[in-house]
Amino acid sequence: MNLSLPHLTTDARAIVYRLFILGLMCFTLSLVSDAFLTLNNVLNVLRQASLLFLLASGLTLVVLTAGLDLSIGANVAMSACLAGSVMKATGSPLLGVLVGLGCGTLIGLINGYFVAFLRVPPFIATYGMLWILHGLTYWFMDGQTIYGFPKEFRVIGSGYWFGIPVPIYLMLVFFAIGSVFITRTNYGHEIYAIGANANMAHLSGVPVKRRLVLVYVVSGAMAGLASLVFLARLNSAEGDIGEALTLPAIAAVLIGGTSLFGGVGTLSGTLVGAIILTLVLNAMNLLTISANWQPLVMGSIVILAVFLDTILRKRMGSR
Amino acid sequence: MKNFQKHVSVKLLLSATAFFCASFNAYADGESIAVFTKNQTNPYFQVVRLGAEAAAKQMNAKSTNYIPTKPDSIPEQMSQVEDVIIKKPDAIFFIPVDYKAMGPAVLKMNAANIPVVNVTDRSEIGKFVSFVGASDYNLGLETAKHLFKAMGGKGNVIALEGVKGSLTNIDRMKGLVDAQKEFPEIKLLASQPANYQRLQALQVMENLMQTYPKIDGVFAANDAMATGAIEALEGANRKALVSGINGTKEAIDAIKSGAMLATGDYSGFLQGCIGMMAAIRHLRGLPVNTDIVFPATVIDKTNLQKEDVPVEKRMCPKWEEVVKS
Repeated sequence: MNLSLPHLTTDARAIVYRLFILGLMCFTLSLVSDAFLTLNNVLNVLRQASLLFLLASGLTLVVLTAGLDLSIGANVAMSACLAGSVMKATGSPLLGVLVGLGCGTLIGLINGYFVAFLRVPPFIATYGMLWILHGLTYWFMDGQTIYGFPKEFRVIGSGYWFGIPVPIYLMLVFFAIGSVFITRTNYGHEIYAIGANANMAHLSGVPVKRRLVLVYVVSGAMAGLASLVFLARLNSAEGDIGEALTLPAIAAVLIGGTSLFGGVGTLSGTLVGAIILTLVLNAMNLLTISANWQPLVMGSIVILAVFLDTILRKRMGSR
Repeated sequence: MKNFQKHVSVKLLLSATAFFCASFNAYADGESIAVFTKNQTNPYFQVVRLGAEAAAKQMNAKSTNYIPTKPDSIPEQMSQVEDVIIKKPDAIFFIPVDYKAMGPAVLKMNAANIPVVNVTDRSEIGKFVSFVGASDYNLGLETAKHLFKAMGGKGNVIALEGVKGSLTNIDRMKGLVDAQKEFPEIKLLASQPANYQRLQALQVMENLMQTYPKIDGVFAANDAMATGAIEALEGANRKALVSGINGTKEAIDAIKSGAMLATGDYSGFLQGCIGMMAAIRHLRGLPVNTDIVFPATVIDKTNLQKEDVPVEKRMCPKWEEVVKS
């Protein structure tokens, strides 16, 4: 149990900093755009953040073990294309959902096996997987687009319950489950321990290999889930949808304060990270910033957010 | 990866055989043509390849595809060009992944004396038998005019831009801007980038609907973004006329169902056909125009029957029907 104590205290502080940065962004934006701080736009931003969060939440576990999963975007593309094709062929949403989740999970399992048992560095194993998945997906899709899915399936992406978009519920549910999992269970503590020092964790009896497989499986399964949300929201998919998803997910995890060296980070940080990234796009659209300047603004805000975070931490640490 | 390598090695074998045969009956049947396209992911290039293959088959030549595994990869296409020059096909059908960066590759092909037909994206430098393509500017212009007319010449428009700096996007957006000059009562509310991606287009559209209570039309620089915008509009229970560009099957189905207004026809199949025919005709000593640019046509409810044929079943038209010398 003593494994969990050091990160919990820093966590509480880290969350406060990040919420402060988020609050600062929201405050500034509400001054410059009337449309920004409306219920509709808040729901809009949260819905957009949900897909990113689902992807980034699984990735957070991987990064906590000092690993990385570069294949999540390609995983989304492949799972979406397979699930979509199965749904088109059989007309059964349930079968499609099972295929999407199954495909994502299986990819995670293979990643985990390579990383944990064959000791391939995570970057290489998942980078290789990215190419394999792209190749298979392109071959499978043959340059085509699939579209037009059953209404009952589309609810998970574009439906509403009590006036709130369904993806937001998904995000909150998985945030809650994930938070309990990593802060309140032995699994979670062991994941932090592996990230802090894998050898020490091994010596103190943590089944390192099995836990490593677990985190990649979770990451893959979340990519599978994200692929379903994507399909249901867009009502279509093609082979190259994943490429634009991987880096933002990694960025959300890192902006959220999870260390690439493992052992430090929280899911709430990732949630805030995903929302910050989504907010930047939202704000740029609301202010209709020219296409020429958007990449520059995006980059600057990401760096600024992390920079502010570092400063706040240092000041707090020196007291 | 294995799968891919196998794929490539089979193709290499095929092209080697084709070359071998060709060297025995020069200027007759069986010429080998190397076909370069940008990626395996965009349906447009798939249609171009089908067009090129159909033409090659009709004229009894052999085509071999070279496609970067990483979509639009400059170094990968560069090394594919180098490989192909060593294999020395009879002619090359070339769509550069980047109209500027692939210049040196074109010069290498010229230096190796292999005739090249430039298709779709006009290369900045190099000698070509012919350029075959559609004008992105005209497509942008005509599609935008079509949209504005359907709106009754007035109202608020949102533009969704493609990848910044790409030739297709630059020209299509120029077309939009010029079309707007002819319609003074059309107001361009915002022009925002969504990088030709459907998810980004959906999100950008959702964001823009927060600030603009009244949107009457959406001009998307490709069909994937147009469908993203349609999903966003439907999700918010709002209505606007949406146009795309490329003439993909997805867009044609959306037009049929009434969700989409129109799409500018990039005539990928025709570009594939005519590009391949130009290469073969050149090898057989038949006349070939140096510049073949198809007129921009817009597909909407009134003329979509013609496009609504599975592309696998389409036949290339006769050269004389398309190219007026």
